Parts: sequence; structure tokens; C-alpha cells
Amino acid sequence: MFLTLEANDKRPIYQQIADGIKSLIAGGSLREGMTLPSVRQVAGDLGVNLNTVAVAYRQLQDEGFVTVRHGAGAVIAPRAPRSIDKAELLKPLQTVLTQLILSGLTSREIEEAVRRELAHLQQTRSSNGEKGGAQ
Amino acid sequence: MSAPTEFEVMIFATTLVVLTLAYGLVKFAWSQPLKNGPGFFLGVEVPAGFYDGRGKLWLNGYRAALLALHLALVVALGGCFVLKRWEWMPVWCGGFALVYVPTYAALTLWMRHKLGTRPPVRAVAFSLQSRHLGDYISWPLEALSAAIVASCWWVLLRHGAKFDWLPPFQMTWSAIVLPGKIALVHSGAPLPAERTEEHYRYQDATRRNSINVLNSWGWLMVVTLCIFPLRQFVSPMKSLSLIWIFLAVFTAVFVYMMFLIFRGQKLATTMGRDLYPSGNFATPYRSSSWMGTMSRPYLVWFAIWFGGILALILYSQFR
Repeated sequence: MFLTLEANDKRPIYQQIADGIKSLIAGGSLREGMTLPSVRQVAGDLGVNLNTVAVAYRQLQDEGFVTVRHGAGAVIAPRAPRSIDKAELLKPLQTVLTQLILSGLTSREIEEAVRRELAHLQQTRSSNGEKGGAQ
Repeated sequence: MSAPTEFEVMIFATTLVVLTLAYGLVKFAWSQPLKNGPGFFLGVEVPAGFYDGRGKLWLNGYRAALLALHLALVVALGGCFVLKRWEWMPVWCGGFALVYVPTYAALTLWMRHKLGTRPPVRAVAFSLQSRHLGDYISWPLEALSAAIVASCWWVLLRHGAKFDWLPPFQMTWSAIVLPGKIALVHSGAPLPAERTEEHYRYQDATRRNSINVLNSWGWLMVVTLCIFPLRQFVSPMKSLSLIWIFLAVFTAVFVYMMFLIFRGQKLATTMGRDLYPSGNFATPYRSSSWMGTMSRPYLVWFAIWFGGILALILYSQFR
């Protein structure tokens, strides 16, 4: 399993790593109990500073996506139902929607893009679910 | 059957080295610039038709430099024989590595620099699979190797007889390759976003092969170390068969090591033919690295370890 970081992505590297891992968790590719590679390994493979990867892992830990155990590394945490503030969760969506509208995309185009992304995510989840079931 | 003389042993060892060198030159080094296909020269992307024009000059220049380098080494070896200075043979071996490796690396880097390697920045991928030391290093074999080395020293020190500490110390130092293997496991390079799986498998195969080569080198040194304590105990009658057994085991391990090196070269050429060569792949966070997966910790270890071997060889000659 690989995580791809785009060359022209403007987000900080740690954010790209954290978001990429969250996306793999959402898609079901990374499941509860799976271990992430060590900070040293990722930093070495990417050629970035150790702290950059450590910040990404810390963010994932703070958000409850991974648990960091001494000696075991970062492990994908169980998806326990959390008390979710929906308004808070939707804030990034509002920001992205504003950006898309300001970029000149029509409501229809945005709706289509959202539908496509959701379908892709759903497809990834179901195919990963089948794989998990087969195992 | 009589015991081989020092001269015969030297002839045998030199023949092995020269045959290996000749095979490596003909089979791999000669065509190294072309190993990534006609679109590349020493891993640098070149325009179409390069080998119809100035590419021929580059290739001829590379081959002439390679031949000159080998010729210099052969002349030095011939000098040892003509002057009958067998004690210079270890210096030649050390000098060979000292001259060949940096000269070849400098030649390659200079050619790459002249060809103007400015690889485009590409999207980068990394594996989420953890690399554990146990997946690459056999701890029982490491323990066995350490136990043999410790036993050899225990016998040498406990036996009481005076012995020259330097040769066994040289072998022991040369056998300490575990830090290098650990550094190799932790070393990695960014993967391109296209055909990531293939690049990952290629990188992992070269990593495993490098570790295997270090392994066999370590065992070669451990085998050689064993001769020192054995010599203390074995009577002159039995020492004859001991020498032959030692030569057979040493040759077997040496041949196995060379097999691994050449198999690794062949594997790298076959697997990496259509992939982005090391040093021709830059990421937004890392400039292209000609060294591929060899990280800074590995290079630091290698410099200390190899420097130690050379220092010990020099010390043994001039003490």
C-alpha cells in the first residue's frame, strides 16, 4: 500500500501525509490494528525531516485516528463513535465550496464532483471490505 | 600431497580476484552506461539519437577510462609478482578498492554532471509497509557469527602462546557488517507515483541483495578468522589437510559472494530496465540522489568500516 504526494500540492508536507493516511482509513485500506511505518522510515524514504513526519503522526493521534504505543509504533485506532459537532465538521467543506465557486465552477459541476468522489470512496470501501472478508 | 607454498596460495587468490574482475568488467561495467536502455547514459536521460552522435564519443571515453583504470591495477599487480613482494598483495587488494571505487564513482559523477542531469520534479509515493530488521536480518545467524568470533578470540587469548594479534583483529574488524545491514534496512528512496509497485519491488530487491552481499563478506571474514585459533591446536601433520579445507571453504564462500554480486547486478539490470533510474528522479522535497537507497548513515558506516580496514592493512605493512 502506497501513499502518493502530488508535486504541486500547496499544503505543508505533514498535512499531506496526515490527510493521505486519513483518506486511506476512510477508504478502508487502512483498518483498525494495522501498523504504520516508523517515523524514521517514512522520513528516510521521502527525504524529509523526522519532525515533519512526527507532526503528521501527532496530528493523527490527536484526532484519534492512530494510537502511538512505545515499541509498537503508530497503530490505526478503532473507529469508536465520537460525539461529533456537525457544524464544526462541515466548516472545511464550506471553505472548499467557497473556493470552488470563486474559481468559477457551477453548482452542477461541484455537485457532480462531490458525487463522483463519494462514489469512488464508496467503491474503495466496498472493495476493501470484500478483500477483508475474503481474508 | 604437500602443503601449498605462500606463493601458490597468492597465485590462487590472485587468479580468483583477476577472473572475477575480468568477468565483472566484460559482463557489467563495460555496458553500464546503457543498462537503462538507449534513452539513458549512466542513468541520465539523453535525447533520441544520442548514440548516433556524441553518445558514441561518451561511450568510447567511458570505456577507455575503464580500461586505463584496470590496466593500472594489473600493472601494480604485475609489479608485486615481478619483484616477488608477496607481502604487498594485501596492500594491492586494499589499494585496488581504494583506487577503483572512488575513481569509478568520480568518473560516473563527472559524466553525469557534464551531461547535465536535471530531472523533472515528479509526484512521490512512499510505502506504508513497515520494514522490520527481522525481515532482512537473520538473528540466529548473527548470533552464530558473533559466537564463532568470540570463541576464536577466547581460544587465542586463553591458549597462552604468543600470537600476532593484528591479522585476527583485521578479520574481526572486517567481519563487523551488522551496522551496515541495519543502515541498509532503514535506507530508502522516494518512489515515483507511476508504477509505484514495480519501483518498490526493485528497490527492495536491491536492498536485499546488498544485505546478502554484506552477509557473505562477513562470513568470508569469519571463516578466515577461524584459521588462527585452529592453527594453535593442530599438529603439523594435520595442518596440511587443514590448509586445504580452509582453502576449499574460503573459495566456496568467495565464489558464493561473487555469485550474489553478479546476480544482483543482473537482477537490477533486468528489473530496472524500464524504471526511473536512481538519480533521475527528483521529488518536491529531495533532489535526485545518484546513490539510490544508500542513505547517509550507511555511507558514514561504510567510510568508518572501510577506512578501518585500510588503516589496518597499512599498519600491518609499516609497523
